[in-house]
Amino acid sequence: MTDLNAIAEFVDDASRYANAIPQLSESGKDLTLEQAYEVQRLSVQRRYDRGQVQVGVKMGFTSRAKMIQMGLDEMIWGRLTNTMLVEDGGEIDLKDFVHPRVEPEIAFLLNKPLEGLVSPAQAMLAVEAIAPALEIIDSRYENFKFNLPDVVADNTSTSAYVVGPWVKPDIDFTNLGMVMSFDGRPVQIGSSAAVLGHPLRALVGAARLVGEDGGRLEAGWTVMAGGATAAEALTSGLHVRLEAQNMGSVSFDVS
Amino acid sequence: MTKTTDADIKKAAEMIRAAHDSGTPCAALHDFIAADDIAAGYAIQNVNTDHWLKQGRRLVGRKTGLTARAVQKQLGVGQPDFGMLYADMAYADGADVPLDRLMQPKIEGEIAFVLKSDLTQEQMTITDVMQAIDYAVAAIEIVDSRIADWDIKIMDTVADNASSGLYVLGTEPRALSELDLHLCGMVIEHQGEPVSTGAGAACLGNPLNATLWLAKTMVEVGRPLKAGDTILSGALGPMVAVPGPGVYELRISGLGSVRAAFV
Repeated sequence: MTDLNAIAEFVDDASRYANAIPQLSESGKDLTLEQAYEVQRLSVQRRYDRGQVQVGVKMGFTSRAKMIQMGLDEMIWGRLTNTMLVEDGGEIDLKDFVHPRVEPEIAFLLNKPLEGLVSPAQAMLAVEAIAPALEIIDSRYENFKFNLPDVVADNTSTSAYVVGPWVKPDIDFTNLGMVMSFDGRPVQIGSSAAVLGHPLRALVGAARLVGEDGGRLEAGWTVMAGGATAAEALTSGLHVRLEAQNMGSVSFDVS
Repeated sequence: MTKTTDADIKKAAEMIRAAHDSGTPCAALHDFIAADDIAAGYAIQNVNTDHWLKQGRRLVGRKTGLTARAVQKQLGVGQPDFGMLYADMAYADGADVPLDRLMQPKIEGEIAFVLKSDLTQEQMTITDVMQAIDYAVAAIEIVDSRIADWDIKIMDTVADNASSGLYVLGTEPRALSELDLHLCGMVIEHQGEPVSTGAGAACLGNPLNATLWLAKTMVEVGRPLKAGDTILSGALGPMVAVPGPGVYELRISGLGSVRAAFV
């Protein structure tokens, strides 16, 4: 029998104290995908017990290239809490992370709940605003190596996120150029089209997957649509900035 | 490897032409010419340019290649390269592009500029380039290699007209003032999937930077850009192999869309 509570504590501690842990799948803790989501729920519950509150969800594996690379045909999702939000222009401390990476994304702000199977039109009606965003992903597993249940149990590597200026969603955001720079030099260049061909599909997917799990996306929540390019490793002293076409920019520093 | 001789240049130029005419790729030129001899590469390209112009092919523009940092690194160079565009390489939006004119095609999403005046100035600046551009359109560049299995070094690709093949231009011309050349998003879709994504900044930071390099270089080599020329400025994202028939659609934010239908 697998003690999911013990595993949840194990991954939560790894995240809380920024300790690298061996892959669950490599240490006799093989989980089904369903068990992995239960571990995620239990581990994030420990955060809520410490006073954090859920403020949204993030989607992962939303690029076909990434799915093919991972041998998957489904996206994954994780939970965002209030303490993960870093102010635009703010700073993160490397010692709070194991081996963080950053990727450019688009964030959605919801003005009403979304649950289960929704059409793109219904999803769009629930979008109050969109923003350029940077997600700091940090697998707690040694060498950033994991299989699908491992990464789901680890809250899909969620660790921190920075959101830029919110803009009304009346612009065409299907193919917006995104340039992520370190110290002013571009390190990743892409387009929002890399997110499932249209980032709105990630929001539709989020409603469906969270619905299948018995929950719903709430008004006021932020939904991170998933990386528009590959992630880049963060090192001390970097100034990280994302410019997104027609949406402005968002940045943070690493100390 | 010994110093490149005129005989080597002539032989290499004939190999490229034979491959071009027969549709059968040739062996790598770096088997007998130094892989990093860029000057030899341009000498070979120039022999063929003279040959083809004499044959009556109409020169309608240029392309810049190697405008992505990652690609430059791959080939061990710190600068772009250029090739000639001939009228027989141009296709209209959505037109059938016959695969039997190609050997091992790949496609790239680019911005094409069309000039309204000559770029013949000495000491050219970015201002001259912006002044000379009539409009921009979206373009699918179909690159190809006359060298078997794309076994190219920098000298091979330069010699092989910068690996150019064919190109398809969009039909929604836009003035520079309407565009965000740095941040415009680019996506190529095939069968509903995004197969290449990027943005303007991927082309030397801005497609105009590549165009300035090209304009200066063309003055230096004595084939300056002229009014009416089409310039393929360089890829905005990774190239995609075209394994067989199919339709590929390029969209550039602010510049509309264009389709290549391989048959």
